[in-house]
Amino acid sequence: MELIPQLLVNGVLYGSLLALPAIGFTTIFAVLRFPNFAVASIATLGAFAGWVANVPLGLPILVAVVVAFVIAGAVGVLADDIVLRPMRPFGALTTAIASIALTVVLENMIRFGFGNDLRGYDLPIVRDWRFLGIRVGPQQVENLVLATIIMVLLFAFLRYGRFGKAMRAVADNPQLAALKGIPSGTVTRLAIFIAMGLVGVGGILQGLGTAIDPLTGFRFILSIFAAAVVGGLGSIPGAVLGAFVIGIGQELSLVILDPTYKSAVGFLAILVVLIFRPEGLLGEKRQ
Amino acid sequence: MNRRLTMKRRQLLATGAIGAGALTLPRLALAQSDGPIMLGTLTPLTGVGGTYGPSMRDAVAGVVDSVNSAGGVLGRQIELVSEDTQTNPEAAVRAARKLVDVDGVSAIMGTWASSVTTAVAPVCWEGGVMVYTVSGSDSITQLPHEGYIIRTQPNSQLQIEVAAQFMLDQGATRVAWIGPQTPFAESSIAILGDVAGEGGASMDSLIYEADRTSYRSEVDQIMTGDPDFLMLGGYAADSTVLLRDLFQAGYEGKIIGPAYAVNASVLEALPNNVVEGLFTWEGTPDVTSGAYARVQQILGVDVVDPYSAQTYDHANLAILAMAAAGSSTGADMRGGVRTISQGDGEIIDNAVDGLEILAGGGSVNYNGASGPCDFTDIGDITGTQFLFRQIQDGQPVDFEVV
Repeated sequence: MELIPQLLVNGVLYGSLLALPAIGFTTIFAVLRFPNFAVASIATLGAFAGWVANVPLGLPILVAVVVAFVIAGAVGVLADDIVLRPMRPFGALTTAIASIALTVVLENMIRFGFGNDLRGYDLPIVRDWRFLGIRVGPQQVENLVLATIIMVLLFAFLRYGRFGKAMRAVADNPQLAALKGIPSGTVTRLAIFIAMGLVGVGGILQGLGTAIDPLTGFRFILSIFAAAVVGGLGSIPGAVLGAFVIGIGQELSLVILDPTYKSAVGFLAILVVLIFRPEGLLGEKRQ
Repeated sequence: MNRRLTMKRRQLLATGAIGAGALTLPRLALAQSDGPIMLGTLTPLTGVGGTYGPSMRDAVAGVVDSVNSAGGVLGRQIELVSEDTQTNPEAAVRAARKLVDVDGVSAIMGTWASSVTTAVAPVCWEGGVMVYTVSGSDSITQLPHEGYIIRTQPNSQLQIEVAAQFMLDQGATRVAWIGPQTPFAESSIAILGDVAGEGGASMDSLIYEADRTSYRSEVDQIMTGDPDFLMLGGYAADSTVLLRDLFQAGYEGKIIGPAYAVNASVLEALPNNVVEGLFTWEGTPDVTSGAYARVQQILGVDVVDPYSAQTYDHANLAILAMAAAGSSTGADMRGGVRTISQGDGEIIDNAVDGLEILAGGGSVNYNGASGPCDFTDIGDITGTQFLFRQIQDGQPVDFEVV
């Protein structure tokens, strides 16, 4: 019981790492109406792109984060154009299954290039800070700040920028948006670029706190999916809320559950939400 | 629209189920007739064991090549088929079914993770195929395998007993075990608890979920017991996360982990100060043996990992067992293994020499790269040495041999 405040803090920190890829996942769902499971490998790709920038090229972490964003976004768009777009006429389900195949292919391409070994970033690991008996790591705090800044920028961009309006219009009704002269193809590509870029940043932030290998993204895909579903598929604020619900829920579950069942919290949250509020916590009820 | 969304979720689940079902469709079985003798490797080429699988396979391939060059066995050439377990029991069972039913192999060599071997073994013994494994879990050789399992890795009981005694010898008074859910987690905790109890030390344990990206809360939980010596029970990926989290949490006590969990890639991925002073232990290959030198040559490396040393032995044992039994079926090889692995025969360290002696009517005793390769009735190895190392400045330094 005395662990609860610490578990809460751990949950918030974990939730902040989940939020970015969850936003990416839910954005793609908002625009294209299918769950793109390729986010698992795109997160891994972002982590590896950042690693190449940071370790072999010796660039600072912030630059590595930008590299992760750009590479993950670009590969996300390219993969979508080549593999997923031709599948879309066959329905959301077909596309979702193709995205699972795509993630396996991408994962193995990464494995082919980098091997199976674990890789760490060029970062010192220091002891955590302690306040009132609660510990937080400087790296975790940096990640939290970075994730928050990116989220604020993204909200401002989508809320007040022309692109945000165009994206919402395409998400609401692609045909009507096209009639209004909105280039839906370009808007869709840009949305995928931003979404996959965020997933890539999520991958590198995750890797900064651990180490990376070709399974990095795969390890947290369930939590990302759960966060997006709990928050409401297609809702960006929902994805953020969902990420914190899942993050805090998984850590707090240790009070009553054996740690072996941590992932079950994700499944349980999906189940509860689908039963009692199928549109998710912040998802809109559609007509 | 809401209704459409719900449908999509259901459709997704339904398609997942159909996909899973399709993967378990029965395969065409091909019987092995004349032509080459088929042998299979089933190593972790990907997944958490992916660091070891490729060289484990290459060690077997090296033996097969040398035997084929010398004329083969039973007058036939050997053909090797290699599959990937993905360090995942489900994928491994599919691969094992392919090796048994489609390729018609006589033996499967190199299963690594205990969960994989546990899942694959029934497929093999029901198909009359030998399994040579490097998995450590006690429960594996206790399966009703009727002699089809041979294990070159010391079982986890022996491994944990030796390491637990080491912890006490180093002055531990409050020991703890932390690791993922594996077939050897419960038995490891029980054995460590017994040894700690006999030595007057307290004992705590925590089993976590494998494949997580952070173990901060698990570390907070285990540290409430203030342990002074921790034993790690996981694999490389989760141990990397755990060691980092332990350091960040300010853990000052000692740590010991199996060498496969604290391997070169872990030391590479973590800064030196995080792993300084950490102990590792492993059943050590016989580095003075001729067989070890041959594996060095096959793999082109100076230091052979224990698993590649063991799969080199698997291939030699399997080929010699066939020759001794005069048959390439798994059922006949069962009886052949112990006639060439132990006893009064001429000591040999490779199959080519052994085949020549057997052809001349002699008997052999194979001593391999991993050690003497003598087996109990249930397939466990006897007579293994353990090497303890300590990490100093990021490098493992030999500490003692037990």
